[in-house]
Amino acid sequence: MYGWTGNILRINLTTGAVKKETYTEEFARTWVGGRGFAVKILYDELKPGIDPLGPDNKFIVAVGPIAGIPAPNTGKTVVAAKSPLTGGYADGNLGTRITEHLRRCGYDVLIVEGRAAVPSYIALENDAVSILPAGEIWGQGTYATHDWIYKKYGRAAGVLSIGQAGETLSLFAVVRSLEGRAGGRPGMGAVMGSKNLKAIVAKGNKPIPQADPQGMKALGASDLKKVGEMDKKSGWSKQSTNGVLAWCNEVAALPVRNMRRTHHPDAWKVDGERLNNARVATYGCPNCTMRCGITIHDHEGHESELDYENIGMLGPNLEIFDLDQVASLNYMCDDYGFDTISAGGTLAFYADAIDRGHTTGTFAFGDAERAKELLRMASRREGVGNLIAQGSLRMARAFGHDSEKYAMQAKGLELAAYNCKFCPGMALAFGTAPIGGTHKESWVITYELNQTARDSYGPEKSAKVIELQRIRGGLFEMLTACRFPWVEIGWGLENYPIYFNKITGLNWTLDDFWKTSDRVYALIKLFWLREMPDIDRRFDYPPGIWFEPSNADTEGPIAGKFLERDKYDGLLQHFYDQRQWDRRGIPTRRLIQTLGLEAEAADAEKYGRLE
Amino acid sequence: MTVRVKLIGPLMYETGFSEKDLDVPAATTVEALLDLIAVPRQRPKIVTRNGRAVAPEEHLSDGDKIAVSPIYSGG
Repeated sequence: MYGWTGNILRINLTTGAVKKETYTEEFARTWVGGRGFAVKILYDELKPGIDPLGPDNKFIVAVGPIAGIPAPNTGKTVVAAKSPLTGGYADGNLGTRITEHLRRCGYDVLIVEGRAAVPSYIALENDAVSILPAGEIWGQGTYATHDWIYKKYGRAAGVLSIGQAGETLSLFAVVRSLEGRAGGRPGMGAVMGSKNLKAIVAKGNKPIPQADPQGMKALGASDLKKVGEMDKKSGWSKQSTNGVLAWCNEVAALPVRNMRRTHHPDAWKVDGERLNNARVATYGCPNCTMRCGITIHDHEGHESELDYENIGMLGPNLEIFDLDQVASLNYMCDDYGFDTISAGGTLAFYADAIDRGHTTGTFAFGDAERAKELLRMASRREGVGNLIAQGSLRMARAFGHDSEKYAMQAKGLELAAYNCKFCPGMALAFGTAPIGGTHKESWVITYELNQTARDSYGPEKSAKVIELQRIRGGLFEMLTACRFPWVEIGWGLENYPIYFNKITGLNWTLDDFWKTSDRVYALIKLFWLREMPDIDRRFDYPPGIWFEPSNADTEGPIAGKFLERDKYDGLLQHFYDQRQWDRRGIPTRRLIQTLGLEAEAADAEKYGRLE
Repeated sequence: MTVRVKLIGPLMYETGFSEKDLDVPAATTVEALLDLIAVPRQRPKIVTRNGRAVAPEEHLSDGDKIAVSPIYSGG
């Protein structure tokens, strides 16, 4: 078997047992890697109903067959577990040197089980595996944690860590890497924290098995250079992802004031031009020639690495338009290990609830200093910080007053920075994203606003959502690679089967990946079904406020417009029909047979119903 | 007539400005405006007028705000 190492490393932190296991070529071909491996392992090994923050949950680190091998842009790793935020399947990817080092230690998957008796970290050095005390850095932020590990292992080591948010089990704590990378929005950092696991470090120098290593080396180097040249020609990385902020403001899709508003006259103060002007450094992931990590000095003088989602949610969505203050909130989230999107969404919900008299408290939109204090409190679970650390949905349930409808989340995960007050297709993308309100699965908004009628709820939109899910949430999350060369500067998708085939020696086409992707999405839905047997199509709806006429803009390009509930339901039905899912949004028996998921479905039927 | 033109993302570095008012003849089309500010025709882009997508052949009106953006696809 080429491409895959064929090895899984299993570490039980309760017993200290370390076990090297193998997996078959059939497993590799069926699930490819990354997200595919993670969902299959979690589905097989987690008993439904377990406590996500208990020792029975498992924390997975998984990569795919092209990961870590120089080519565009193969520095990504998937982290996954049952989510303490949503109660369902959860994962996320992040750029990290772990990607290559895990592979060079000889593994594609790390499974962490149990709970260490004392704060610990895991160190892999080729075949040596150690579980070591992390008491010295428990209570520290991710930057200090990384420095502490770099002093021991050198800066070239791969590191994943958590900050105080993970330690105190914030339900939206992330896993952190490098200068400002983060992944696992639905509380993957809390799962690490619940295991007393502060960090994972890996250093390996074994070769990664490849069918055509020389050919791949030449191709990968040449293609990385080409992508770099394409980026320079397009100018994309001058503003990176934050270039889109001005466009969102223009077309009334910017999150402003807990998504109550869709545009703001001060948005220019935090746009891509201002970000580029303030740049003091640029960071990126391994194997990348279009680095997107624009870094500026924050209000306190720290280096803060920003992208659009951070800025949209911690800036306009809180009505904070001082870029250095937005950078401060971003730096604090990165250091504490909070997800920036959920932090922005939850703080905005809190300010909105106070505004509406649905709770009492001291916080108003635009108050950056109080937002910082609330993040500090959340990291320690002090006062209202204890509630903030649990995300907007739980906060809404605590406040009552029907405030849940303006908790801007889907499946419990806060929505990313696209205000879909009148974007039916993007609302569907959020509603049907398999981990909750992420933009990463299907960023359909530019297609929707540029190539379709904005007010259409037609099957062309649901088909595009599925097409993008197959590419973004399927192909790239399984391989594991970054989607930016393709999605932002037009690097051809056809390149990825070429890399895959050169590395594995197989002869796959993109169609093979689409089927595998559908299998992964179906199994994720079965995971949810086992956990929540009563789920139905309401589970795939966006927040209720978007359906309310009273929430419509009163001026601007979408004045008077809002999502129509019956039409959204029709769009959702198009999605189900195209996916071959039933009216509840569960994969049909027929599809399950096509995808070869009969065994998994038989287990799901012990808990829920299939049609 | 006067129209407000906003260039988004890297287009502003190619054209040399990010936002300004331009005096253009009546009945100027979107395409003619893009030629005037030297946005290459072959460059993939999204053009909006007052926040809504607009076709190249459409005529501009006094006071319009035209935004020209690359086709962002991710984030």
